Amino acid sequence: MIHVISVANRHLYEDVLEEHFRIRHDIFVDERRWETLRKPDKREIDIFDNEDTIYLLALEGRRVVGGHRLYPTTKPSMMSEIFPHLADVRGYPSDPLIWEWSRYFIVRDRRDGNLNLQLMAAVQEFCLAEGIVKISAIMETWWLPRFQQAGFNVVPLGLPALVEDAWTMAALIDVSADTLRAISARTGLPSVVQRKGPHLDAVARANLHRERTEIVREIA
Amino acid sequence: MSAVDYGREALDFIEGLNGYTEVPVAMDALERAFCRFGFETIIVTGLPNPDQKFSQMVLAKRWPAAWFKLYTENSFDRVDPVVRHCRRSIHPFEWAEAPYDPEREKGAAEVMRRATDFRMKRGFIIPIHGLTGYEAAVSLGGVDLDLNVRSKPALHLMAMYSFERIRHLLHPTPDPPSRLTRREREVVAWASQGKSAWEIGEILNITQRTAEQHLANAATKLGAVNRTHTVAIAIRNGIINP
Repeated sequence: MIHVISVANRHLYEDVLEEHFRIRHDIFVDERRWETLRKPDKREIDIFDNEDTIYLLALEGRRVVGGHRLYPTTKPSMMSEIFPHLADVRGYPSDPLIWEWSRYFIVRDRRDGNLNLQLMAAVQEFCLAEGIVKISAIMETWWLPRFQQAGFNVVPLGLPALVEDAWTMAALIDVSADTLRAISARTGLPSVVQRKGPHLDAVARANLHRERTEIVREIA
Repeated sequence: MSAVDYGREALDFIEGLNGYTEVPVAMDALERAFCRFGFETIIVTGLPNPDQKFSQMVLAKRWPAAWFKLYTENSFDRVDPVVRHCRRSIHPFEWAEAPYDPEREKGAAEVMRRATDFRMKRGFIIPIHGLTGYEAAVSLGGVDLDLNVRSKPALHLMAMYSFERIRHLLHPTPDPPSRLTRREREVVAWASQGKSAWEIGEILNITQRTAEQHLANAATKLGAVNRTHTVAIAIRNGIINP
């Protein structure tokens, strides 16, 4: 099952979150060699890991085997702050109904199995339940056919560019019941998301930031 | 064209792809779009595994007929350095970047040479790596090309979306369309443990014949050619967990 972890319920998952930061370092720094993410304490945490981040982590017992995270685009995001050039044709989103999706990982011994499709189903299932209509993503271009074959509608925001020697692109992915249905037919599981403890209302939280951002813009 | 124009045109083309509902019409659009960069030939194809023939993997093409005949009759795909490099690459590359030893790999040298007889002097190939280890590519060829650091990203994206549209038009149902029954899954799971049909029959309290039937049905549903292949596909797709 893929667990939703936010500021509202992270007290139930501190050990799991901690393990996932270490796994992120193993995978994104040691394996994928994204050197800019390297940290001396081997916990891969960046400025988009904070009280507004929502983590979707696949757990077997208390073992983290995969996951990804979501972040409101009403705050400065990876796409707006670090990779705006990847979205220079259609522009990057800033919308409480659009969340940025990143740090998609699966531990080595669970790759090439059903977990990949379950993780894709999880983001659709969660966003559908929360009323999020699109997810923005910066992805290595070779992932595009994989998402498409899983049934995702992926709309490019600009042309691919090299990021640390890997062709990378920015896109918006539709959240839809049809997409979820198609993936669920393949996973064989009607639901993969588990929510324990207090729920966070994602869109309401994103809206808080929109108001603040708009006020700041007016002053500036 | 400026970088912005390449971007806008590519994204407009990609958006327009959704409007094509027939493969020949989509291919006409591809031809027009890639022709703007000087490309004269297009092929959209899966890459064959050792049991498969190249010709059965082709999804769509605009190739000179004589070249296709030559290529397939001589099984050029088996020695084509571009095909070989494509399997190993996640990034697009020019045909000239596919390494081979012209001294020791005469077959490879011949393919590259003979292609030039058909106005395929220079080319760009975009590898496609799908979900279940599926390998494919879009390969574009021509003589005088607008192929440079600004045009390549546009071609990269256009080719990937073109592939998906063509694939979708040819195979509209998401695969695998047929789910295995519980019994079929059980039988395949035991086969993955090395059990024979007779042993599986003993374990599940069914006849050997019935076990064989379940295995055969599973093979058909998964598109497998034999029992080992059935097990491999089942594991790769997470249908059974070894």
